[in-house]
Amino acid sequence: MTGYGVVSAIGVGKDETLGALKQKRSGLGKIAYLKTAHDEFPVGEVKLSNDEMKAMLGIRGDVPTTRTSLLGMLALREALEDSRLVGDDLRQVAFVSGTTVGGMDKSEQYYLDFLENDDRNAYIATHDCGACTEMIADHFGRFASVTTLSTACSSAANAIIYGARLIKSGEADIVVVGGSECITKFHLNGFNSLMILDRDFCRPFDAGRAGINLGEGAAFLVLENADHARGRGVKPYAQLAGYGNACDAYHQTASSPDGDGAFLAMQKAIAMGGIGAGQVDYVNAHGTGTRDNDSSESAAMRRVFGDAVPPVSSTKAFTGHTTSASGSIECAICLLAMQHRFLPANLNYKGSDGCVVPVTETKENVDLRYVLCNSFGFGGNDTSLLLKNNDIANY
Amino acid sequence: MINNWVRIKSGYGPSVEEIYKDRIGSYAKFYKMDPLSRLGFVASELLLDAEGSRDREWGETRGVVLMNATSSLADDRNYQRTIVGDDAFPSPSLFVYTLPNVVTGEIAIRNRYYGETNFFVLPGADPEQMSKVIEMSFCDDKLQSLLTGWIDCEDEEHYDALMFIANRTVCGRRAELAEEIAALFEKEIKY
Amino acid sequence: MEELILNLKKQIIEVLNLEEIKPEDIDENAPLFGEGLALDSIDALELIVLMEKNYGIKIKDPNEGKEIFKSVRVMAEYIEQHRTK
Repeated sequence: MTGYGVVSAIGVGKDETLGALKQKRSGLGKIAYLKTAHDEFPVGEVKLSNDEMKAMLGIRGDVPTTRTSLLGMLALREALEDSRLVGDDLRQVAFVSGTTVGGMDKSEQYYLDFLENDDRNAYIATHDCGACTEMIADHFGRFASVTTLSTACSSAANAIIYGARLIKSGEADIVVVGGSECITKFHLNGFNSLMILDRDFCRPFDAGRAGINLGEGAAFLVLENADHARGRGVKPYAQLAGYGNACDAYHQTASSPDGDGAFLAMQKAIAMGGIGAGQVDYVNAHGTGTRDNDSSESAAMRRVFGDAVPPVSSTKAFTGHTTSASGSIECAICLLAMQHRFLPANLNYKGSDGCVVPVTETKENVDLRYVLCNSFGFGGNDTSLLLKNNDIANY
Repeated sequence: MINNWVRIKSGYGPSVEEIYKDRIGSYAKFYKMDPLSRLGFVASELLLDAEGSRDREWGETRGVVLMNATSSLADDRNYQRTIVGDDAFPSPSLFVYTLPNVVTGEIAIRNRYYGETNFFVLPGADPEQMSKVIEMSFCDDKLQSLLTGWIDCEDEEHYDALMFIANRTVCGRRAELAEEIAALFEKEIKY
Repeated sequence: MEELILNLKKQIIEVLNLEEIKPEDIDENAPLFGEGLALDSIDALELIVLMEKNYGIKIKDPNEGKEIFKSVRVMAEYIEQHRTK
C-alpha cells in the first residue's frame, strides 16, 4: 500500500483525519447539507457543499456530477498525489470502486423533473453506480480499467480484495481501490424504516447502543506489487497481508447470533497472512452500533481470538456509518494508526452487556504490527482485511 | 468448461413467476423478493436441479458472484414511490432489496453456502469482463465452485439472466471461458 | 371486531406478500410469529408501517411491536383501542 486518501465527516485528507482521531473529535452532528424532514437523526456529513467541492476540484459549477463522485474525487486526488501517480501513469493502473447509492442524490432531487420536463436530463446519465465510478476516474485521466462493485456496506472492502487479486494474478502491477458514498434521503429513510437509526450519537459495543448514525465519505488506496513499488522508488505504508470474504447465509439484513460469516472472513484473512490469531494487535471492528451487529461481531471475535481478544474499537462514532465507503475509510484509519503508532478510541462507550469491551481512550506509542479491519454488509456479505506494518515487518 | 447453465429472458417462454409455480414452489419467501432476487432465485434453483447435487453440503467451498448493468433499478423505483410526498411510508422490505447483492445472499441462505459472495455492476454483458471477474474469484483457495453469471432486471417486463456453474478449471483459461460465455448468450433460452 | 379481524388478515396478506395464503388460513388466535407463516424481523417492520398507514398508530420501538403482533386478535384489539383513523 503505497498511498491513500480519505474524506469523511472528521476531515478532508489524512492530516485532518489524524488530528480528529487523536483528539477524539467526532464528526457527528445535526443534518446540515442534506435536505430532509428527518433532522432528528445525527449524521456524519462531510462539511462541504457540492459547490465547494467543485471549486476545490476545479470543476465548473454547471457540470453535472453527483456528491458520491465529488467525495470520491477528493479522496482519489490525495491518494494519487501520495503515491506520486500522475497523468500517463494512470494508463497502467486499474481502478476499482464500491458504491451502492451511486448517483441517487441527484436522482431523488430531480426525479420529478425527469418525468415532467427535460431540464435535468443530464443527470439521468449520472445515476448509475458505474457512472459515478467513471466520473471519479475521468477527472484524473485514463485508467487501464474501471470496475464498480456493489455489496452494500462491505463494497469498498471487496473492491480492495478485487484489486489485490488483479495484482496477485498478474493482471495488473498497480491498482487504486476503495469506495465512495454520500448520504441520501433514499437510504436515510430506508434505515429509518428498519428502525436502526439512533436519535443520539451512536455507541458501538455499549450496552445501551440503539443503532447507527449514517455517515458519508470516500477513501482510496494505491496497491502495487513490491517490485513495482521499488521500481518507482515509493515506500509502502503497509502490506495487505490477507483478506477473506464469507457469506453469513442467515438473513438478508440480520447477522447470525454466532457471527458465522464474520468468523469465517476473519479466519480466512488471518490464515492467508500466515500468522496466528494471537499476533493481531488491533481490530478495527465493523461495530455499527446496532444491537445485532455488535453482539454478533463480538461472538465472532471470541471464536477467532478465544479469551485473548486484542484491542478493539469501532471508529463509526467519529465518522458515522459511511456504508459502501466504510471499508476503505476504516482501512485508511488503520493505516494512520499504524503509521502514527496509536489506537483510535471507541467513542460514547459506557458499559458492556456482554459484547467485547473496546478501547475507549486514544492510546499513544503503540506498535501495531498486524491490524484486522472488518466490514460487513447486508446480504450477509462479510469481509475482513489483514494489514501488516512495513516498518516493523521483521519482528 | 461450463456444463450446467440456465437462461431466462423476458419475452421468451413463461414469466419468472410461472416458472416458479411450475418447477419450484413451496418457498414462500419467493413472493417477498424483489424482481431481481426472484429472477436470481429461480435461475439458481433450475441450475441446481440441472446440476443434481442438492444433497451435498457445500459450505465454504461454493460462492455466488453475479453481475449486471442496472443494479437494483427495478426495486429502487418501487421503493422510491414509498418515500415521496408528505404522506410517505417508506417500506422496509422494499428498501432491503435496493441492495443488488441481496440476491447473492438469498441464494446463499437457501443453499447454505458460506463461500464468497459478490456483485459487480458493469457497463454491459461483456463476456471478457465477466470471465475476468470469475477467474479472479478463484484466487480464493477454498472456493471450489461458483454460481455466477449475468442477471439483469430493469423491471418486471425487461430482464435477462444467464447463470451457470464455474469451477476451478477456468483458472488460466480466461479467453476460452469468455468464448463459452459469448456462445451461451447466442443460444436459445434454457430453463 | 370480527370485521376488523378479517380486514386485518387481508391487509397482512397484502403487505407481507403472503401469496399462497387466504384469510381463512390464518388463525386469529395463533401466534403470528415463530410458526406457521414463517414471518421474520422485516415482516414485523412492515406490520409497524401498516399500523401507522392504515390506523394512525405509531410504534416507536420494534420490541413494542412484539407484544402487539402476538396474534391477529391481539393486534385487532390494540387497533380498536388506539386507532386515530
